[in-house]
Amino acid sequence: MDCDRTAKLLPDYWQGALSTRDGELVRAHLKTCAACQELEALGEGLAHLSPEHPSPALRRRFQAMLDAYEEGRGEASQFSSSHSGPFEWRPSWLWMRPAVSMGAAALLLLVVGFLAGRYLNDAHSQQEIAAMQSDLINMRQLVVLSMLQQDSASQRLQGVTWSTRQPQADPKILGALLHTLRYDSSVDVRLAALDALSRYGDQTQVRQGLTDALESQQSPLVQVELIDLLVQWRDRGAVEQLHKIERDPDVDPAVRNRARQAIDQLS
Amino acid sequence: MTRPVPDEELMMLVRGGQGDMLGVLFDRYQVPLFSLYSKLTGDRAASEDLVQEVFVRILKYRRSYRPGTAFRPWLYKIARNAHVDQARRRRPELEFQPEMVPPAPHHDQAAASEQEALLHRALLELPEAKREVLLLSRFQGLPYGEIAELTGCQVAAVKVRVHRALQELREIFLRLGGARANRGVAGVNHGL
Repeated sequence: MDCDRTAKLLPDYWQGALSTRDGELVRAHLKTCAACQELEALGEGLAHLSPEHPSPALRRRFQAMLDAYEEGRGEASQFSSSHSGPFEWRPSWLWMRPAVSMGAAALLLLVVGFLAGRYLNDAHSQQEIAAMQSDLINMRQLVVLSMLQQDSASQRLQGVTWSTRQPQADPKILGALLHTLRYDSSVDVRLAALDALSRYGDQTQVRQGLTDALESQQSPLVQVELIDLLVQWRDRGAVEQLHKIERDPDVDPAVRNRARQAIDQLS
Repeated sequence: MTRPVPDEELMMLVRGGQGDMLGVLFDRYQVPLFSLYSKLTGDRAASEDLVQEVFVRILKYRRSYRPGTAFRPWLYKIARNAHVDQARRRRPELEFQPEMVPPAPHHDQAAASEQEALLHRALLELPEAKREVLLLSRFQGLPYGEIAELTGCQVAAVKVRVHRALQELREIFLRLGGARANRGVAGVNHGL
């Protein structure tokens, strides 16, 4: 195979679209031809260019745009709900003379037809949106659960942030957050999970989960935060666990000290 | 591991009025889009504006997203249109400036960074259409079929463009690098 043919086949070679025979011919030629190696190396170089990251300001700008959009939608729906309904409008042209009103009536028929069409379309899309909204809770749940299981800590952090956007406590998400609090390898993610869980002091599942997490927690930072939260919730069920920590010589002295204070506060 | 929610499902929710779901798509695509724009234009500030513009357009035209449409090609179509519109408003040719080369990655060795900087510079000297087809196919890994749809030409024509653009890139790369590039080009993929 010559250089010209090899160069023409490289695009397919890179995307694995060559026949086995052509692939072998290209590979064989590349072994012996420095000029084609250069081309191939350039193509590989392009494929491995470093990704570039925008400044954090971009995410903030995007969020501001999204918030403005959501706010706009909120105002729009408020506006439409302040009207009593599409059929309660009282037209002011009824006093018109017959000749004028004939033309006006014809025009009105057109307008009514147009509006009715739009109204029906809106009703249809409202139904569509309602159907989607019924799936939305599941979808949010899925988004959060999948994010909490990603390899990258920053994605798991995003998952925790998304979990706080849930309008109501969802047992599956609370379970996933408690799991994150106990087992996540990143202290930052564990702290974020604890922060997210702090809104659910009224949930037995969460209070019990926090006490259990105290038992297995290794990071002094997270331990102290956990104890603070349990004290804030006046959770006497945690006292037994706090005693264990206070007596455990392997636990960081500052944490043991905080546990001692917490026992006094809860007793 | 739970599978990530497909882009298409998220976009259907955005289409239905759930704007906040666009945040997930933004988090998925802001780096690929920004990287593409940045390497295409050499202008980081303009690239951030373009990424923002893409997501504004998605919200604006969300109803035009049809169920069953693959999200990524649809997104790239919007991204390409945003870039074309912006280019019309801006000066036609952008002179190369040293700050157009993105900051070197922390982990890379000096030689690898130098090769990558040279490659960026060579890319910016290519005519834009050739730069685009190389970035889409090699850097972004888009299949030729998708690029053909995006640019409105045949798949075979896309491959020819890749081939020609690469030949031209090599000439620029060698010219810029001189003797140093002659030594380094064969190792560019190892060094990067």
